[in-house]
Amino acid sequence: MEGFDVANLFVSIGQVWTGFLVNLGLSSQWIAFVNKLVAALLLTALPVTIVVFTIMGERKIIGRFQDRLGPNRVGPYGFLQTVPDVVKLLTKEIITPTNVDKVMYNVAPALSVIAVILIWAVMPIAPSMIGVDLDIGVVYFLAVSSLATLAILLAGWSSNNKYALIAAFRTVSQLVSYEVPLVLSLLVPVMLASSLSMNDIVQAQSRGWFVILAPISMLIFFISGTAEVGRSPFDLLEADSEIVAGFNIEYSGMRFAMFFLGEWIHAFTFCALTATLYFGGWRGPFVDQVPALGALYFFAKMFILYLIHIWIRATMPRFRIDQMLAFSWKFLVPLALVNVAVMALATKLLAPPDLSASFWATLPRWGGFLGVNLIMAVGTFVAVREVARQARRKEEEVSGRFGSAAVVQE
Amino acid sequence: MGISHVLFILFSVLILGGGVMVVTRRNLVQAAGALILTLFGVAGLYVLLEAGFLAAVQILIYIGAIAILIIFAVMLTRRLADEQEPGLNSQWAWALGTAVMALAILVIVIQGTWPLAGGVVGNAPPLTGDSTSRLGVALLSPEQYAFPFEVASVLLLSAMLGAIVIAREKRH
Amino acid sequence: MSETSQTQATQEPSVLTVQDAYGVLLERFPGQVRMDERQGYEGVLIEADSLLDVASFMRDQLGIRYLSSVTGVDNLPNGQLESVYHAFAGLGPALVFKVQVDRDRPEVPSLVSVWPSADFQERESYDLLGIRYIGHPNLQRILTWEGFHGHPLRKDWHEPYYEEELKPFASRHPDGHVYRAEDRNPFGMNLQYPSDFDPHNWTDIAQAAVYQPLQRTALESRLETETMVINLGPQHPSTHGVLRVVMAVDGETVVDLMPVFGYLHRNHEKIGERCTFPQIMPYTDRLDYICSMSTNLAYALAVEKLTGIRPPERAEYIRVIMAELTRIVNHLLAIGFLWNDVGAFFTPVVYAFNERELILDLFEMAAGSRMMCNYVRVGGVFEDLPDGWMEKARRLVYDRLPRFVDEYERLVVQNEIWRARAIGVGVLPAERAIAVGATGPLLRGSGVPYDIRRVEPYSIYDRFDFDVAVRFNGDVYDRFMIRFDEMRQSLRILRQAMEQIPDGPVQTGKKNYTIKVPPGEAYHRIEAPKGELGFYLVSDGRPNPWRYHVRSTSLINLTSLAEMCRGHKIADVVVILGSIDITLGEVDR
Repeated sequence: MEGFDVANLFVSIGQVWTGFLVNLGLSSQWIAFVNKLVAALLLTALPVTIVVFTIMGERKIIGRFQDRLGPNRVGPYGFLQTVPDVVKLLTKEIITPTNVDKVMYNVAPALSVIAVILIWAVMPIAPSMIGVDLDIGVVYFLAVSSLATLAILLAGWSSNNKYALIAAFRTVSQLVSYEVPLVLSLLVPVMLASSLSMNDIVQAQSRGWFVILAPISMLIFFISGTAEVGRSPFDLLEADSEIVAGFNIEYSGMRFAMFFLGEWIHAFTFCALTATLYFGGWRGPFVDQVPALGALYFFAKMFILYLIHIWIRATMPRFRIDQMLAFSWKFLVPLALVNVAVMALATKLLAPPDLSASFWATLPRWGGFLGVNLIMAVGTFVAVREVARQARRKEEEVSGRFGSAAVVQE
Repeated sequence: MGISHVLFILFSVLILGGGVMVVTRRNLVQAAGALILTLFGVAGLYVLLEAGFLAAVQILIYIGAIAILIIFAVMLTRRLADEQEPGLNSQWAWALGTAVMALAILVIVIQGTWPLAGGVVGNAPPLTGDSTSRLGVALLSPEQYAFPFEVASVLLLSAMLGAIVIAREKRH
Repeated sequence: MSETSQTQATQEPSVLTVQDAYGVLLERFPGQVRMDERQGYEGVLIEADSLLDVASFMRDQLGIRYLSSVTGVDNLPNGQLESVYHAFAGLGPALVFKVQVDRDRPEVPSLVSVWPSADFQERESYDLLGIRYIGHPNLQRILTWEGFHGHPLRKDWHEPYYEEELKPFASRHPDGHVYRAEDRNPFGMNLQYPSDFDPHNWTDIAQAAVYQPLQRTALESRLETETMVINLGPQHPSTHGVLRVVMAVDGETVVDLMPVFGYLHRNHEKIGERCTFPQIMPYTDRLDYICSMSTNLAYALAVEKLTGIRPPERAEYIRVIMAELTRIVNHLLAIGFLWNDVGAFFTPVVYAFNERELILDLFEMAAGSRMMCNYVRVGGVFEDLPDGWMEKARRLVYDRLPRFVDEYERLVVQNEIWRARAIGVGVLPAERAIAVGATGPLLRGSGVPYDIRRVEPYSIYDRFDFDVAVRFNGDVYDRFMIRFDEMRQSLRILRQAMEQIPDGPVQTGKKNYTIKVPPGEAYHRIEAPKGELGFYLVSDGRPNPWRYHVRSTSLINLTSLAEMCRGHKIADVVVILGSIDITLGEVDR
C-alpha cells in the first residue's frame, strides 16, 4: 500500500487494483481487458446510482416547494424511500397488451436506458477520470442521445395505443426540432476550445468558464436540452394531464421502470453536460493540487443545475405542441444561428487564449466576448418586443379583444 | 484471426441480415427497424476503419434523423403497415435489373485499380493524426472541397424549400 | 357584448313581468295555451302541436332568451307525462310552461332549435322518463346505457331489489332491521334487459352514435389525412372524474368532440323520490361533493318555497356564510386544478388546498364533517355554530384569505406560458353562452353579468353590498380570472354577514323527523359556485316528493364543450374542460 495518495484518490485506487491483478499473475493484455471491463461496469453503475439520489432529492425538494414534507416514512427523513419503490417496480407484473409489436415493444425500454448511459463514456468526471477521451466526444454524445428518440418512437408505435401514438408523433417533432438549436449552440464551446473532445473543452476552461464567454449559447443549450430530455415545461411526451404518460402508457413493472430510469438519467446527464461544456466541468479551487476534488466539483455543479430543472418543474405549466415548435423554430434556431456566426467572428478577432498570460492580460478578451453577448441579448429583446407588439396590434384589430382588466358591474 | 476480424464479420452479418430483413418484412415499421440495424452495422465498419467522426455522424444523421423520419412517415400512413400487402409489385423486374447492375458495378469497382490523387487504392499512405480536423480542413479550405461542399448545401437548401412548397397547405 | 348584458339584465323585465307574459301568451295563442289551474301549481299548459310556435314567440317577441330547466313528471294517476320548462328573461321569477302528453304516446316537439340549452336535458328526460322529443338531433340515452330496461323515473318502474314505493320501508321500521336486498339474491339473477337486447352479443349503440358522426365530419373536412378517434376518459386524470370525451382528431387538432355521461349514474332522483323530504338532505351532499353546503342550501330553499317555512334570522346568516365559504372552496379548487390541467406539477393545487383545508376545518367544527356536511335543514340549520368558530372564521376571512387571493393571483397571472395557453382559447361569445344555458363563471366570463344572487335574490342576499363579477372575452383566461374576482366578492359578503349576524335560534319550530308539505310544485334555483343549481319538487301531500329533480349545473354547462373545443389542440380540450369546472357527481347523478 505504499504511496497511497488521498489527493489522487481515484488514481491510487486504480493502482492498488492493478497491483492486485498483477499479483494474481495475469498477463498485461488480460489486465488491460479486465480493467476496461471494470471501468465500463463502473461507468454504467454510476448514473444508475446517482438516479437514486436525484429521485429522492427531487421528491423532497418538490415537496418543500409545495409546502409539504415529501416522502418521510422510510429511513431517516424518508431518505430510503427509493428502495421500496425500486423493489416494488422490480416485483410488479409485467403486462404485455395484445397486438403489440413484440420485438420493438421489448427493445424500446432497454434502448432508452442504453442510449443515455452511453453518454457517460465520454464524460470527464475528474482530471484523468474519463471513460474514453474520444477526439469526437461532442459528436459522439449527439449521436448516442439521438438513439433515445428512437426508443421513445418505437415504444409509442409498438404499444398499439392511441395516446402512445400521439406521444410518438410529438416525440419526433419535439426532439428533432430541438436538436437543431442544441447542435448550433454546442458549436460555440467547440469553437472556443477548437476541439470536439470533452476533455479538451474542460481543459480550455482553465482561464474562465465558457458560460462567461458565451452565456447566450449556454442558455440555448440548457433550454433545448430541457426540451430534449422532455422535462417541464416541455414534458409533452408524457403530459399526464393530456395523453396520460404518453409513450410509456402500456408499460408496467420493470419495463416501465427502465423508461423511468432512462428519463431521469437523461435529465441529469444533460445537467452534467452543461456543467462540462459551460461551467468548467471538474474545475474548481485546488483541483490541481487535489485532483480527487474534481469529482466533487463536477457533481456539485451537476446537482445545482439539476436544481434549476426541479425548480422549473415545480413552477411552470406546460407548453402546447404548436407553441413549443414555434418557440424552437421561430426563436431558438434563428438566435442560435446568429449566435454561432457572431461567436465565430469574435473567436477569430479576439486573441486566442494564451495560457501563460496573466489574469489581467486576458481581461480584454473576456470583456470582448461578454460585450458581444450583451449586444446580442439586447438585440434579441428589442426584436422580440417589436414582434410581440405587432402581433398584439394585429390581434386587437382582428378580434377586438378587451383589455384583461376586471370590469365589475354594479 | 484478431478481434477486428470478429467484429468485421459481426458487422457484416448485421448489415446483410438487416438488408435482407428490410426487403422481406411485410410490416413497414419492422422493415424500417431492420434498416436501422443495417445503418448501425455501417457505423460499426466506420469505427473499424478508424473513421470515428464518420461513424458518429452516420448514427446521428442516418439513425437519429433519417430512419426516424422514415418510421414517422410510415406511422402516418398506417394502412401501408398492413401485413396483408403483397411483397412484390409490378415493377419487380425493373428493380431486379437495377439491383444486378448495381452489384456488377460494385464488383468492377472493387476488382479494378483506380488512380487517385494520393496514389492507388490499397497503396494509399495510412492516415496519421486527427482525422476529424483533417476532414474539417479539407471540406472548408478553398483549394480542396469548399466549392463542392457549398454546392451540396445549395442543393439541400433547394430540396428543403421544394418540400415546404409541396407540403404547404393551400389557403382557401 | 356589453350591450347584450345591459339588455339581458335591466331592460326587458321592465317591459314585461311574468304574469304579463302569461297574459300575452293566452291572448296570442287562444286554445293552445291555458293556465295551469291545479292547486299549488304555476305557469301555463301548452298543446304539444303548437309548442314550437309558442317557444319561438317567447324567445323572439317576449325576450325569454334563457331556458334554464327542462324536465318531466310522470302523472301516473291521470295517465299523462308532463314535460316541464323553466325559462327566464332576466330579472325576476321563472316563466313556467308545460306540455302534457299521453303516457302511451309521449311525443313532444324538441326545443333544441329554439334554445340549444335543451339538448342534454331533453335527452335526460327521454332517458329517465321516456318522453320522446321529436326533432332532437341526437335523442339517445344519456345517463343509463342502452341495455337498460325501461325508463326508471316512471312511477310504475321498479328497480331490481324493489321493496316498496316509499321509505321508511316496513321491513326496517320501526324495529330497525337493516339488510341489503341484494344479499338475498346473491347471484343477481333478476337483471332485466329490453326485449330486443342480447347482453352477450350487442353492438354499442352509443358507440356507433358517437363515432359515426364524428368520423363523417372528419372525412368531410379533409380527405387526405387520416383522422383518429380518441377517447378521453372515462379513466383519465384530467376529466375530473369519470367523464368520457370522444374526440375525432386530425393530427393534434380536434375536428369534433362529444361528451358521454353516466359512468357515475346512480339515479339520484329515483332515490330521492323514495325518501321522505328530510331524508333527501344527506344525498344532496353527494351531488356536487366539492360544495355540499351550497347543494344543501338549494334543496332546503326549494322545500321551504313549497312549504312556506321561513328560517330564523341567525340561520339565514349562517347559511350565507357557509355558502360563500363554499364558493371560495370551489374556486380555489377550480383554479388550482385548471393549472394542473395546463401542466403545472401540482404546486398551484397544493397551495390552494392549504387554504381549502382551513375552510374545511370550519365546516367540520360546525357540521361534524368536512366534505359531506349535511348541515342545512329545512327551516334552519342543523345546529348553532360552536364556541370559537366565529373567531377562527374571522381570522380567515379578514386576514388570511384576502392575502392569499392577492398572492396567488400574482403567482400565476403573469406567467408567460399560462397566458399563451389561456388567452383566446375556447372562446364562448355572450350570445352563445346564453343560448346554450351556460351559467355561473362560464356565463359571466363571457360578458353577461347574470348572477342569481342579484337578479332573483334568495335567502338574505338582497341585504349585502357586492358586485357581480364579469369579464368580457369569454376565453379560458377570463373564466380563470373571474374566479379571483368572485372570491373577492365572496369575502366582501362574508365580512358583512359576520358583522351583521344576530343571536337567536337557528331552527324554526322544533326538530322533526318529517315535515308536512302541501301539494304543489316549486322550482328554486341558487347561484351555486359552478352556476345555476335548481331543484324542482312536486308534492302530492305525502311525506315523500312525487317528483324530485336536480337541474345540474355541471351537466348543462357541458353543452357548449364541443363548440368551444373544435379547431383547438388536444391539450386545449383539457384546459377548456377545466375552465368550465364540473363535478361528475353532479353531472351523472
